[in-house]
Amino acid sequence: MEYIDYYKVLGVDKGATAEEIKKQYRKLARKYHPDLNPNDSGAELNFKRINEAHEVLSDPDKRKKYDEYGKDWQHAEEFEKAKRSRGQSGQGGYSGYTYSGSGGSAEDFSDFFESMFGGSGSGFRSQRQKVRFRGQDYQTQLQLSLMDVYTAQKQTLTVNGKNIRLSIPAGVEDGQTIKIKGHGGPGIEGGPSGDLYITFSIVNNTDFKRDGADLFKTVNIPLVKAVLGGEIVVETLSGKVKLKVNPGTDNGTKVKLKGKGFPKYKKEGQFGDLILTYSVAIPKRLTPEQKSLFEALEKTKLE
Amino acid sequence: MEKKNHISLRTFCERHGVQESFVYSMYEFELVQMDHGQDGAQLPLEELPLLEKMVRLHHELDINPEGIQAIHHLLQQVEELQKEVVSLRRKLDRLE
Repeated sequence: MEYIDYYKVLGVDKGATAEEIKKQYRKLARKYHPDLNPNDSGAELNFKRINEAHEVLSDPDKRKKYDEYGKDWQHAEEFEKAKRSRGQSGQGGYSGYTYSGSGGSAEDFSDFFESMFGGSGSGFRSQRQKVRFRGQDYQTQLQLSLMDVYTAQKQTLTVNGKNIRLSIPAGVEDGQTIKIKGHGGPGIEGGPSGDLYITFSIVNNTDFKRDGADLFKTVNIPLVKAVLGGEIVVETLSGKVKLKVNPGTDNGTKVKLKGKGFPKYKKEGQFGDLILTYSVAIPKRLTPEQKSLFEALEKTKLE
Repeated sequence: MEKKNHISLRTFCERHGVQESFVYSMYEFELVQMDHGQDGAQLPLEELPLLEKMVRLHHELDINPEGIQAIHHLLQQVEELQKEVVSLRRKLDRLE
């Protein structure tokens, strides 16, 4: 656990007045407020930091204690521990440094803060909770492989100690967020529950590149087959297919295999296309016999 | 009486410590929907996430209704652009 310089976080001098602190806090809050920075976790973290700094420096008692212990804050921790053991403050079980991400609210504090000021007694926090009606939205990430999302998935997620059974339709995209209604925090005094947002991170460790429901792959074909034509066997996600290569096939020729791509999200039974790009492989090592055949070919003035 | 899947404007404003006139401004700017019945104005529950975001901007950053309307418009553009960036990155990745 590291010491946090709250003055540095807010960018104010140690002797800053309450008015200066408030002004600087508001300036930074307007810059980093999560509602103004959609999908920016860096801004969210900064917002949490400045809120914590403001929580300490705007409260004369907390600021005094923080200034008094300064870098020697570990003594403050011991002091707090002693206080807790005497039963003066019963709050514990701070579980990590997570931010619920419903936007705007900053209800989690660093371990440093918790050890110095304990988990209780924040008027700021309780005041914020009072004005809430609808439950908090939760955000979580789920990492799956490309092959996982080729078919519909059933997964069980544990969010805040509750198991949620989830059906994930085939064809989910990397970075896609789905909303599970009502699986966020409970509402307050009869208010509706918040929602759970799951963002998928799809790891592609296949030879295929994906754009929506279409898949792309480069296939090497031997030079002779490109010139004379023939058959090749290509791996698709649904198995091997035999393809006819036309005589005189150019390097870079694209072939579309309809319906051999990725499943379309929420369109059961529908698939995108697989687009193959032929790459004609030029032989690098020739036997003397093959070389003489190429030389004979050259003599025919073949262009 | 509150309709199913609705919350009365009065309850919402009491719980969030916000003036009814603020919510009416959001409604007049066509940012949120509101139903008017015999029992007074009612807010559909699905409007709450957006409306709560507006209340946060108003309370926490002192932004007035006109400012919120402008922010809402710009945020929609930001989100559209973010989607476009993701889609272009995907295409770029395919060409690499």
